[in-house]
Parts: sequence; structure tokens; C-alpha cells
Amino acid sequence: MFFPVKEKLKSGKSGSNRRTRRGKRISVLYLLPSVIGVLLFFVLPFLIVVYYSVVDNPINHEFVFLDNFIMVSHNAAFQQAAKNTMMFSATAVPLAVVLSLLLAMMLESKIPFKSQFRTFFLSPMMVPIASVVLIWQVLFHYNGMMNEVLGWFGVDKIDWLNSSYAQIVIVILFLWKNLGYNMILFMAALSSIPKDILEVAVLESASPYQIFWHIKLRYMSSTILFVTIMSLINSFKVFREIYLLKGDYPYDTMYMLQHFMNNTFGKLDYQKMSAAAIMMAIVMVIIIGILFLTENYFGKDVEG
Amino acid sequence: MREKTEYNSNNAVALERWNRSVRKKKKIKHTRQLVRITLVTMVAAWFALLFLMPIVLTITNSFMSASEISANYGQVFATTDTGGKVYIAEKVNLKFIPDMVSFSQYITVLFKSPEYLLKFWNSVILVVPIVAFQLLVAAGASFGFTRYRGRIKEIIFFVYIILMLMPYQVTLVPNYLVSDWLNILDTNWAIWLPGIFSPFAVYLLTKYMRRIPASVMEAAQIDGAGEWQIFRKICMPLCKGAMCSIAILIFIDYWNMVEQPLILLSDPEKHPLSVFLSKINAGEIGLAFAVATIYMVPPILVFLYGEDYLVEGITYQGGIKG
Amino acid sequence: MKKGKNKGRLQAALYMVCLMLLASGCGKKDEGTKEEKGYTYIAEYAQMDLKCDHVAQSAVVNDILYMAGSSWNEENGISTNYLYKYDMADGILELLPLDISENSYINGMAAMEDGNLAIIVNNSTYDLDENGEPVNWQDSMEMWKISGEDGAMLDSIPMDGILGDENTYINSMCIDGQGNYYLYNGDSTIFVLNSQLEKLCEIKSDNWINQMVSSKEGDVYVTSYGETGMELRKIDTAAKSLGEKVEGISDGYGDKQFFTGLSKSFLIGKSGKMSYFDLSTETEEELFDWLDVDVNSDYLSMAGELSDGRIFAVINDYSEENSKTDLVFAKKVKASEVAEKEEITYGAMWVDYNLKKNIISFNKTNDKYRIVVKEYGTDDYQTGLTQFNADLTTGKCPDIIDLSSVNYSQYANMGILEDLYPYMEKSGLKKEDYLENVLGAFEVDGKLCGITPQFYVTTAMAKASIVGNVDGWTLSEMLDFVEKQNPDNVFAYGNRSQIFYYCIYNNIDEFIDWETGKCNFDGEDFIRTLEFAAKFPEEPDYDDEEGLSAKLRSDKILLMQGSVSSVQEYQMMNGLFGEPIAYVGFPNNERKGNLIQTTGGFMGISAKSKNKEGAWEFVKSILSEEYQDSLIQQSGGWGFPVKKSSLEKQFDLDMTQEFYEDENGNQIEQTKTTWGYDDFQMEIYAATKEEVEAVRELLMSAQKLSGNVNEQMMNIITEETEAFFSGQKSAADTAGVIQNRIQIYVNENR
Repeated sequence: MFFPVKEKLKSGKSGSNRRTRRGKRISVLYLLPSVIGVLLFFVLPFLIVVYYSVVDNPINHEFVFLDNFIMVSHNAAFQQAAKNTMMFSATAVPLAVVLSLLLAMMLESKIPFKSQFRTFFLSPMMVPIASVVLIWQVLFHYNGMMNEVLGWFGVDKIDWLNSSYAQIVIVILFLWKNLGYNMILFMAALSSIPKDILEVAVLESASPYQIFWHIKLRYMSSTILFVTIMSLINSFKVFREIYLLKGDYPYDTMYMLQHFMNNTFGKLDYQKMSAAAIMMAIVMVIIIGILFLTENYFGKDVEG
Repeated sequence: MREKTEYNSNNAVALERWNRSVRKKKKIKHTRQLVRITLVTMVAAWFALLFLMPIVLTITNSFMSASEISANYGQVFATTDTGGKVYIAEKVNLKFIPDMVSFSQYITVLFKSPEYLLKFWNSVILVVPIVAFQLLVAAGASFGFTRYRGRIKEIIFFVYIILMLMPYQVTLVPNYLVSDWLNILDTNWAIWLPGIFSPFAVYLLTKYMRRIPASVMEAAQIDGAGEWQIFRKICMPLCKGAMCSIAILIFIDYWNMVEQPLILLSDPEKHPLSVFLSKINAGEIGLAFAVATIYMVPPILVFLYGEDYLVEGITYQGGIKG
Repeated sequence: MKKGKNKGRLQAALYMVCLMLLASGCGKKDEGTKEEKGYTYIAEYAQMDLKCDHVAQSAVVNDILYMAGSSWNEENGISTNYLYKYDMADGILELLPLDISENSYINGMAAMEDGNLAIIVNNSTYDLDENGEPVNWQDSMEMWKISGEDGAMLDSIPMDGILGDENTYINSMCIDGQGNYYLYNGDSTIFVLNSQLEKLCEIKSDNWINQMVSSKEGDVYVTSYGETGMELRKIDTAAKSLGEKVEGISDGYGDKQFFTGLSKSFLIGKSGKMSYFDLSTETEEELFDWLDVDVNSDYLSMAGELSDGRIFAVINDYSEENSKTDLVFAKKVKASEVAEKEEITYGAMWVDYNLKKNIISFNKTNDKYRIVVKEYGTDDYQTGLTQFNADLTTGKCPDIIDLSSVNYSQYANMGILEDLYPYMEKSGLKKEDYLENVLGAFEVDGKLCGITPQFYVTTAMAKASIVGNVDGWTLSEMLDFVEKQNPDNVFAYGNRSQIFYYCIYNNIDEFIDWETGKCNFDGEDFIRTLEFAAKFPEEPDYDDEEGLSAKLRSDKILLMQGSVSSVQEYQMMNGLFGEPIAYVGFPNNERKGNLIQTTGGFMGISAKSKNKEGAWEFVKSILSEEYQDSLIQQSGGWGFPVKKSSLEKQFDLDMTQEFYEDENGNQIEQTKTTWGYDDFQMEIYAATKEEVEAVRELLMSAQKLSGNVNEQMMNIITEETEAFFSGQKSAADTAGVIQNRIQIYVNENR
């Protein structure tokens, strides 16, 4: 069908300018409730966090400027946590994107019971976290099923949750929980690629490899970025599972920034928590900024 | 769209060539494809099995008697005198099939101790308003973000994303302070309000709405529709699927909340069932699976009902394209 | 078209207004509850001087309270019964004549419709054996009906024949609206008799019945413990069984007492609070907290409602040397009518008994300030602590912070506690008047951040003949010593984790260098300790017949962990060991292993308090000579006073001999008390000077506060050692994991 071009619209009617201005004002009204709520329950708390980050402790309120930031950035536990969190997100997020894309393509390749499989892959989202943790605990227990299975192949027992393998366990847990949803996003994107383009590509005897790289990926670039952001959000949520698995102080490879914040919170060290949170926020702004720029770059390419 | 017409224009010859080659290869390709599909199906089945295991385990274990469960996993959840969890046990059994099917867990949960149902109800009371009103607020906000985009709105939207990505540990304490200041501490409002105004749904819905071609709304505007009509008659119907899928996500997220009620609601009688589930210890583990199974029912229903929306939901496929 | 646009804007505005209302709705709801709180209760004590020790039975009819109790005469070994009538409207107390034989008891009392009383009298008889101990107890129950006016006997009916069996014991009685009698045998059977005292039925309960009570409606109910807490069931005489459990009663196994109500079905007294319970709506409505009206309701015996709406309560007080009974009226008044006192909040996880008593008496006597207790730890500790911490950071910070169940040094180091020395100086309390080592243990950077009225010492003891005359040892000394002695066990009923804890508990900081942040849990010492502990049994052997004392004397066990809270306890320990004791305490590098344990409240003043003077007023009161002297007790209290002069007075009292005259006129020393431990028991006489000196020395040797051990680290250690103790992992592996996890903790806290 036909889409009117912007220039045409602008020159269309004489009254449209006035209407646009009024519309703009009204659109702000729609925004207002959410903005007020967010200001009250998200921005204001964040400002309080900023405040805490520059005072000596939450009870004395003595201004210390950047001392907390310096202290926290030199803190070995914080460094460890930052490293772990980054490591985790850097492995888990790309894995989640790639594997779920593979899963989506697998299901798109005309296999039977497609919708059943889809439901099965989504099922981890329905299980309460506590049961997930319970089952994970039993699976990766020192005397658990994993070690038993490995035992059949003559592998020595591994203390999964108390060794450097711990991060692998967490990555698996994360993937298991999130692949299904990501997969669905990809499936939707895959099916939205216009069929005729693919057909023509085949006609032009493009190899499947070429089709994948030049057409499918290109078309899904904004979905990929979206999935990346969603996975990033979810990668921060994995703390809850780790916490339920191993408590406040897990083995050091599982120790995340959220542990640091959670523990310092528990000990009334809000200044440390706030400084850590703000540093994390700054890194986040940079990452999201980059993702945004990339999305704008690719997004325009396809949609235009 | 332009690409499409380009391809279509010179396809007559090519199509003919392609058809011929296809017919030749069809037989070989057919068997090869069959093998491929079988293989892929098997891989998918294997994955599906892994994915399904926990849910199946939870359900089958809920039909075990409390003593059987304690014998299998009790040790994993035994607590020490000081409250820490004991990790190592002599023997851990992951059992799929109960020795004897028993409904004792369910009888206890459903009839003998009303506290579980009460907590379940607490969950409902806490989560449903959040889902409904977060969507309502987000619908308005997303509409605002989508119509007449400008620099300020873009900045606000970026702030939303940053706030959305903040781990809750960061804002939980300040939230406590704010709730205290608003005098809503220890009431359900302390959970509801931050939930309702969470930027999460705004982000998702805005992403979706912005992919509705601007021309659709503009066309309506030219026809004389006001903002409310555009919102109500054009935008909302187009977003129905997205709203459903976002509702599912919000629901799942809040259905599993643990930390917020612990800190913001001091009265344990107001706590949702998820808090209880996360604190299971050796003494209650016998009931854990039945409670978990019952707790899974609403998400499963939500999924069964809304899965299709979820699939078509988040990414805009252009219901009005072509 | 214009209309349409306006409509659009209007609707958008409406949508917004809706959301705003939603957001502000909560504030209004809260105001409502505040208005409700415009009322408050105040308590008044009735002037009542009863001859009996405590009130055992009571009944109320038309605002007239009948109380029965007995008084035990130690001299002649006879108990006398008294029956009082108290007109609560006029405040007139009357002693009714009661022609009841000695050593008979009143086992039940209830008021009848006509205003007369029915009482169950237990005439017990017994013979004395050759040692003068009673044998062949015979209970024989009688029901007396006496006039409510003057106590005149109207009727007396023996119960034996009526109830079936001879000698059926009756523990309590209720009367319902039809005049039927419900008699409970104290076990699980209830007998129902009609007004003519003919037996109607006998109802047996599966559960142990806690209490029998009649409702305002005239039915009789019983309470018992069920699945989720106290359950209330109606006695159904028609069905001859107990009815269904009444819904609406809050869960929990805490003690709940039910009393007959006047405006609502029942009054409930539970954990210090009073509430109404309405049977028709099945709802509970909280009225007030006894603590808020300055009444200690720990021994609430009876409560009810007067026709003018006042709540009365009969409360026994066993805490004093001579127990007594109070009658308290709680009256609902407008908050504005109550004299304004400045409120001082006392924030605590839990409030201990002595402290509660102390707060109540402070509130009663001080007319400027009033202590309001805020308890955080009622549900579970972690949640309570989180809220406590959150409150500290907001304006709700308590003025006085109870430090007995939080990490003292953490709070002190954060600078949130006031230095108490300047306050002491200002109020003329001299630092020198208090035990230096106790004050020293509380000091952080020379500041006194917390104080306790009383303390005792926790320690570990061994025979001086084996360990030598030492008062402390290091971990390796201790390990060397035990390995050389090679006893069956270190402690009586000792197991691995207990022994391990003993080694590590007070010693954990020595594995950590807080300066550099280095931990040494994978070092030789820790691994040695693990392996050492593993040599001992996994489970304590409770079947062991041999007594503690015998084991100690025959060196089968080496050490005993315990506390010394009075000179008498010290004397008992000497008797238990049968020879001189070395108080070696917990192992640590400075050989200072005896720890100070606070009791009776451990508190500090918040640096953020808006009323520090008021807070100090209370803290001062616990340090005052008057209060410190009141802690002195005849047979030793649970803990020693921190004021030197009071401690000396206690010591003097401990050394004072008391005598009594036997039949031949000889002065014989009287025992102070009897103290026991495990199977060992001994009578304690006045202490010798040497014993008191030894106790003094022991008290002075304690320099560190107990309970300052980090729970997080302990949790990690417990969690991981489990694997080692069950033989699944090597000591080195276990130590490695502990090292790894504690390292994070240490790094985080530097």
C-alpha cells in the first residue's frame, strides 16, 4: 500500500501546524503520569543514591566528595565483582543471542511439532525461581546427578558450585532460563522477513550462507539488538539465583556486583553500595549508548 | 518495500530456470531433507527434554510424600544452627517417579494450612494491579514517546532505559526511604506504586509503537482524528498483541519477586508465596513441590492463553504492511 | 471538529487525573488510621492488699471480682486459703469468710446467674512416711455454693459419686448460660453437669486442653494447640463432642489466654497485648499493649471487661522477693487528655525480661520521659535487622539502640553511637566507680559506645592440676595439650562441630590480617584444627550413663564450657570438679579467653537521636547506685552489677552466713541455695573470702566482649566444614574453599 511521505504531509494543509503544536502538548499529557511516577519511584531514589555516594555513612551524612568512589574502586572485592559481572555478561549475553538464534532457525526449518517445541523451550519461564534453584542444587551437588553421570565416564567428582566451574553452572542456568524467550523473539523476526526476498535470493542462486549473512541477519539486526538488551537486563537478574544457591558469599567466581551491593547494604555501608551503583550506572550508560548508536545505524539501513 | 518491487520486475525468466532445476533435484533433495529434518527434530527433542526437566520434576515430586522428599533432598536444605545452609549431604537423589503417589502434600497445602492459600492470594493481590496499571501507564507514556519525537523526549527515554537496567538492589533502600516519606511503608502500595511506574513496559511498548509507521497515525490525523482517538482507535488496537506479551513478561517478573516484599512489607502475613518459596528449609521441604506446583498454575495458564501473543508480540511485524 | 479535539484533550486529562488519584489514594488511607489512634489507654492500679501470695482462681459477675488464693506459711508448713470480694465499681475490698480446712485447695471458681459463687474445693489428704514426706495422696472434690453477698455456705456437694470414678480430679470449672457446669479434669476429659448437678455427658478431647472458657454468649469453649497454633472449639453438649475450630484466630504458638468478654465474645491476652474476639464475625481486634500502659503482663492471671468499658486484669508478680498480686484497670481516653511526656524510643531486636521490668518502672516514675519499645526481631532476625538498619538511616532512628543482638563493633565503628563518657561526667557518675575491664571492653577508640547494667563471664574450665594455673591459652597450646592428654572427648557430650567451634569461635580474627586483607584459612593451623576436630565423634553420645562430674573427675573429658554468673555458680563449679579449676577460656593469641557477656540490656545512645538528654536519662538510671544496688540478690542473681560498690555489696552478701536454730537450740548455718549442673547438685553455703577473691579475679580477667563474632564468616565455615566432617572432602580442599569465600568477605569489608 501507499505511505504518504513526510514532506507531502507538511505542505498538505494550512491548519496542520497549529494542530501539530496542540498535539505535541497533548502528547506530553500522556507522558506525564509515567514521568511523575518514574521521578518519584526511580529518579528520586537514584538521586538519593547519588547523595549517599558522597557522604561518609548513611547516619552521619558527612560530605566526603569522591572518597567513596576512590575507596570502592580500590576495593578488591569490588574489583573481583566487577570483573565477574563483566565476564558473565560478556559470555552469557552473546551465547544467549547466538544459541537462541540457532534454536529459532532450527524450529523454523519445517520440523514437526513446532508449536509444542516452542512451548517446551518457554517452560523455564514458568517455574518458580525457588524450584529452579532447588533442582539446580540437586543437579550440581557434590553428590548430585551431574557428578554421577560424569562418574560413568570415569571423571572425578567436581565441586561445581565451589570451584572455578561455578561460573559455567551459572551461565548454563542463565541460558536455560532465557533461551526460550529470546528464541521466540527471533522466530518472530525470522518469519517477518518478506518471503519473496528469500525466494528471489534463491533464484539468484545465493548460497544459504549468503542468505543468512546478507539477508536474514540484516533484516533481524534490530531484533538482535533488542534481544541483546533484554539479555543484558536478565543477566543482571541472575543474582537472585546465585544468591539462593550460595547465599551472601559464594565462591569468588560467582561473586557479582549485586552481591557487593547487597552485602554492603546489609551492613549499612550505603556509601559503598551507592558508589558502586553509580559506577555501574556510568558503565551502563556507555554500553547502552553504544548499542543505541549501532541500532540507529543498522535500523535505518533496513527500514529506510 | 522498494527492494521488493525491484526483484519482482525481472523474475519471469529466472523463475522458469529455477523450476527446471528444482524438478531434477527434487527426489534426492527430498530424502536428504527428510534426514536433515529428523536430525534437527532429534536435537530439538533433546533440548526440549532438558528444558522441560525442572517443570516435570516439580510436578512429579509434588506427588511424593513429605518423608520421601526429605529422604531425597532434605539434606540439601538442612540449615545450620546459625542459619546458614548446609551444602554437602551424604546422598542426593533426583527422582522423577514417586515410590508411591501421595496427595498428602496437596491436602496439607490446600486444606490443612490455610496460610499457603493466603500467601497465594497475597501474590495475586500484589501482582495483578501492577500488571494492569503498569500497562495502562505504559500505554500512555509510550504514546507520548512515539508521537512528536523530540530531543527532550529522546533524552527522557534514554534515562528510562538506564533506570530499567539498574539492579533493584540499588534503588531498594532509597525506595524504602521514599515509601516511608509517602507514608505507604508496610502497605501494599509500597509494592504497587514502584511496580506500576516501572519503566520496563514503557520501554518495550515504545519500541513497539515506534515501529508502527508514522504515516498510519498521521493519516488519521489528516482525517481529523484527535490525539485521544488516534490513541484509542488506532494505536491501542495495533498494540494489543504487544500489550499481551508485555503483560506476560511483567506478570512472570513480579510473580517471582522476593526482595521487595521482604524489605517493604514488615508484616509476614502480607508476603506473597514467592517469598515463602525462596526461604524453604529442611522443615518445610516436604511441601515445597506442591506449593511450587500450585504457584506455577497461573503462569502456565497465562502462557497457554497468551503464548501466541508472545510470539507475535514484541517485534512489530507490520499488521498493516503491503 | 473542534468539539472532537476538546473531547480528546478532556479524555487525556481525565486519564491522567485517574492515575494521579491512584497515586495519592494511599496517603488518605493512612490519615484514617491516625485518627483512630487519637485514643489511647491508661492504666490505674487498684489499692489492694491481699494476704495470699498470689491469686489462683477468680470469677467476675456484675463488676464484682472474686479472687481466691492461698498463702503458704513456711514456719508451720500450713497453707491458708482466702477468698476476696472486690467491688470494682466502688473499689471496696472485702475478705469473705471461708470455712475451709488447712491444706485444702480451691480448684475452680465460677459465678452463677444469681450472683452466687460455685467453687470446687479439693480436700486432699495424705499420710506422712518415716521421712516426713507425704504419701498416699487422696484428692476428694466437693462443690460448694456460697453466697456472693457474704460468703455464707449455701450448699456443699461431694463430687465423687456424680462423676463416676472415685477421686476424679477437677482442675477448672465453667458455667454456661443454661446453668450447666463444665468440669475439666486437667487431662483431656470434660464432664458436663446440669444445674441440678446431674451428669449430662462426658466429652473427651484428642488434644491436650489448654484452657476452658465461657463466652459472652453463654457457651463454653476450649483452647488447644493445633496445626498452626492455638485453636478454639466450642463444647457441643448436644453432639457430646468438641465443635469445629473457630476461624479468625491468628496463628502462632505463642501463649494466648482467653477471657469472657462483655461487649465482645472474648478478650484475648497474648504476648503482652489485649484484643477482642468476636465470634459472630470471627474477627480479632487489637486493643492495646500492656507495655504501652506501663504494665508488665507476663503473669496475667485473669482479665475482663467492666460495664463502664474499662478492661481489668489480675496480674501476679513473682519477680519480687515476695510475690504479690495487682489489679489493673485499663481505661480508654482521648490522647489529648494524657499528660504529654517526651517519648524516647528503645529499638531492640528482642527485649529481655529484666530490661522490660526496668523500662516499666522507669516509665512509672519518670514524669518527663517515657520509653517506647520498638521490637524488630519478632519474625525473623535477618528481616528485622534489615528494617532496623533502614530505620537507622531514616528519621525513625531509635533514640536508644539495643546492642545485645547486633554486631556491636560494626555500629560503634560507624560512629552512630554517642560517647557516653561525657554524659557520665556531666551527671557526676565517676568512671572509676565502674569496673574498668567492663568499660574497657565497650570502648572503641577511647569512646564508650555502649553500656550494660549487668554482666557475666563465659569461659571454659579445666582442672588446674592438669592444665596448670593458667588463665588463657593459644590455639596451638590448646591443641598440643589435648593431643598429649588424649582424652575420650574434650567436652561432655561433645561433638566435632562443637569442638571445632570452641577452637575457632573467639579466634577467627587471627586467621585474618585486616591490614593487608590476607586470610590464612588454608594455612597449617586451620587445617590442623579441622583434622583435630574430626577425631571426635560426629554425634554427641547422650546415652552415656556416666554423669558429668564423674567424667571430669576421672579425666574422661578435659574441658567444660560454661559461665560464671554468680559466686554461687562458682562454688558449684568447684564442687563439680572436686578440685581447683583453671579458667582457661577460649583459645586466642593473647591468652585472654574469658569473655564478658552482657545481660539485662546492652544499650547505646544514637548519635542521631533528637533527644539525647532523655535517652541518657534512662541509660543513667541503669547505672545509678539505686538500680545497681537493686540487682543485688540474696542468693546471687544472673550476672554481676557493673558498679564496683554494688558488686562489693553483692560479694559481702555472698559471704554473710545465715543461721537458724534447730530444735536443740543450736545455731546451724542455713543453705543459701541449691545449685546443680547435669546430674550434679550441691547445697551452697556462704562463700569464703578466697572464693570471692577468685571470682573477682576471674571477672577482672575478662577483657573482651562475647558475641562479637562475625556471623557471616561463621556461616561460611559451618557450611563448608560439613563436607569435611562427613568425610567427603579433604581438610585441605575444605580449607581452600573457606579461604576463597572468606577472602571475599574480608576484601569487601576493608
